[in-house]
Amino acid sequence: MVRRLLALTSGRIAAVILALIALLALLGPLLSPQDPLAGSADILADPGPHHWLGTDYLGRDVLSRLLAGSRLSVLGALQVTVMALLVGVIPGILSVYLGRAFEWVTLRLADTLIALPFLVFAVAVTALLGNGIPQAMLTVGIMVSPLFFRVSRAATLSVARSQYVEAAIIAGASVGWIVRRHVWTKVLPPIAIALAHTAGVGFVVVSSLTFLGIGVRPPAPTWGGILASDLGFLSYRPWAPLLPTALIMATVWACNLLADAIRDVSGEAGRALLDNRKLRGRLAVAGRGA
Amino acid sequence: MKLARRTRQLAAAAAALLALATTGCGADAGAASGESTLRWAVALPAHWDPVVSGSGAQFRILSLAYASLTEIDEQGKAVPSLARGWDYNSTGDQVTFHLRPGLKFTDGEPLDARAVKLYLERAKTQKNSALFGDLTSIKEITADGDLDVVINLTQVDYQIPLLLGERVAQITSPKAAQDPVKLDQNPVGAGPFVVTEFVPGSHVYFKKNADYWDAANIHIDRVELHAAPDSATIVSSLKTGVYDLAYLDASQVKAAKASGLDVVLQPGFNASNISINVNKKPFDNPKVVDAVRYAVNRQEFVDKVTFGYGKATDQPFPPGYLAYDEKSAGQFGYDPAKARQLLAEAGYQPGQIKLDLVIPAQSTAAEIVQAQLDAIGITVSIKVDPNWSTPFFAKDLTLSLYGTTGRESPVQTLTAHFGPNGPLNLSTPYQPEGFEAAIALARQTPLDSPDYAANLQAATRAGLASRALVFTHAPTNIFVKSTRVSALPAIPGQIHWTGVTVAAS
Repeated sequence: MVRRLLALTSGRIAAVILALIALLALLGPLLSPQDPLAGSADILADPGPHHWLGTDYLGRDVLSRLLAGSRLSVLGALQVTVMALLVGVIPGILSVYLGRAFEWVTLRLADTLIALPFLVFAVAVTALLGNGIPQAMLTVGIMVSPLFFRVSRAATLSVARSQYVEAAIIAGASVGWIVRRHVWTKVLPPIAIALAHTAGVGFVVVSSLTFLGIGVRPPAPTWGGILASDLGFLSYRPWAPLLPTALIMATVWACNLLADAIRDVSGEAGRALLDNRKLRGRLAVAGRGA
Repeated sequence: MKLARRTRQLAAAAAALLALATTGCGADAGAASGESTLRWAVALPAHWDPVVSGSGAQFRILSLAYASLTEIDEQGKAVPSLARGWDYNSTGDQVTFHLRPGLKFTDGEPLDARAVKLYLERAKTQKNSALFGDLTSIKEITADGDLDVVINLTQVDYQIPLLLGERVAQITSPKAAQDPVKLDQNPVGAGPFVVTEFVPGSHVYFKKNADYWDAANIHIDRVELHAAPDSATIVSSLKTGVYDLAYLDASQVKAAKASGLDVVLQPGFNASNISINVNKKPFDNPKVVDAVRYAVNRQEFVDKVTFGYGKATDQPFPPGYLAYDEKSAGQFGYDPAKARQLLAEAGYQPGQIKLDLVIPAQSTAAEIVQAQLDAIGITVSIKVDPNWSTPFFAKDLTLSLYGTTGRESPVQTLTAHFGPNGPLNLSTPYQPEGFEAAIALARQTPLDSPDYAANLQAATRAGLASRALVFTHAPTNIFVKSTRVSALPAIPGQIHWTGVTVAAS
């Protein structure tokens, strides 16, 4: 799958951007040229040799804050994705096999979660449980989980009704064996697509919440928080909001690009597409050689 | 073909309707042509009963609907309003206010001595009154005929005419006040304007009150209050003509000036502070409080919060104010090394003290306090609590921030901050030694006495011995207005509409 993914231009672009973002999240605080929390008398300064991207309203180095803020933003998005995956996939698969009562309850729960506006719900939960990224992100993860529930359930249903699975059941195969042997391989590609898409959604949500000042306490830097504070000083640094916005947009775009690439390379259609590309590539090489 | 023509006709009709609707929904909705209309973007008050609203900054908005017993002039001296004058008795423990004849509320009720008496008694006794703490000098109110209100005092107090101004004595209709809950959302007073439309959280519309005592000098026919948008969008809203007036954050002054709008720097008595509860650890140790006092770099607040449109102050007044005590200035200058030493003497290692700084909304000032205390080894976590006022005024918090718009009576300012029951004293019932006597002397000094300034400053000096407050800076009241609106009277800390005109747009 990875090899096929990297064979696509979109897959390669997404991988490069996401690798850079991951690198920033891992090493960002170490790469910061200055202490991202240290203020100075030089407030709202334009870019210069000492502050490459200028300073904010407290005289803090913007580049250092953007780098330091990447970790919190990425971790928040990952929390959303992992939570949604765990809460959505397992009940999604089991809803096909654990009887009508379980199916009815899980479907109704999924419907309910879809009906709730998750950003508003996240704000309410942080008000109840404390203003922290984990509280907000775990809540959003649960709210987003119906996507995984529906994707994994649909894929499982298509497998469960196939003749070879029915044959396996007649032959005495257990549910666990069927899930491991047949269901998992079918469910994995759509889940991978949903995973990449959800990571993008997670970035948007974590940026939105931190933009509103929810989930993070000053002076901790986040991309959303930096964007929010920049908007208050447009007359001094009108271009400043573009920096965190570009980072957020690039990350979300890369996640969506990755989701599209996974969709393209997964399944028979994806394989055929790649095989055709390979074939065309070989023909082209052969043509040039001739 | 026929269908196409019909479609075009329908489209044209829809466009015309849309244009009409847009005009109707625009900023001038409801205003008759030729009317002089002021559109003010402002945080709408939660309470419209002055007794419940209290003496905070919201009185400026309530003053549209309510007139007060007295006013102040540009020098901050008490001048007539509903009362055309007042007299003290020879011992200074009784003051009589003489009302103008023929006054009436907008519900038609007479505004007489009885109405004033009922208002003041309600402010003293109503369960949810936010003013009772300001009225401790008032023992008894009697109506002497229709026009004279006689106030007997618990102590000699020459501050009463200043006290009973816009913040404390915006007189409400006694008939409307029979239902205080209704009055709180349906203001009925005798102010320059009367409410015509009230949509909580959205807008409040007023029209001129022809029965206002000074109606001849009110030249605005209609006022529209709109819930203020985010401060970053205020300038563009005024520039495009959506509003005519708004409060302006200091960070937006540059943008407002560049847009050709009028930036008004209104004089005032503002002062911001770090509120400390000495009844709670670690501030029960005076050395920890002193460490905080030495940790504060006031100039940083001036530069980063007020963008230079303010002054550093270590008192509850801006420098230069009558009650500002020069002798106390600079007593605890910025000295972080000394602050760290004091913490060590108090037995605290760097990072050992961890505190929540509880505030109602995110602010630059809070981040500055956090950084400055962090520099001396106190770890501060900023906690935003939208319901902040409840624990603050219940004195449950350990550390907070407060910014006052001041009071017309400097004695009221001092008692609010340093008095044992002062609403801004987070350490109730603590008060500094000698404050009570000093404040009593200031009260007993007539405002025209040559000793008045000295006695006031002595009271300030006594109050500043309080460990409950560390003053940081004095912001300036900044407004932005359209050039259609004429100059606002420079009444300190207040907004007056007397003589103000709004040109047609």
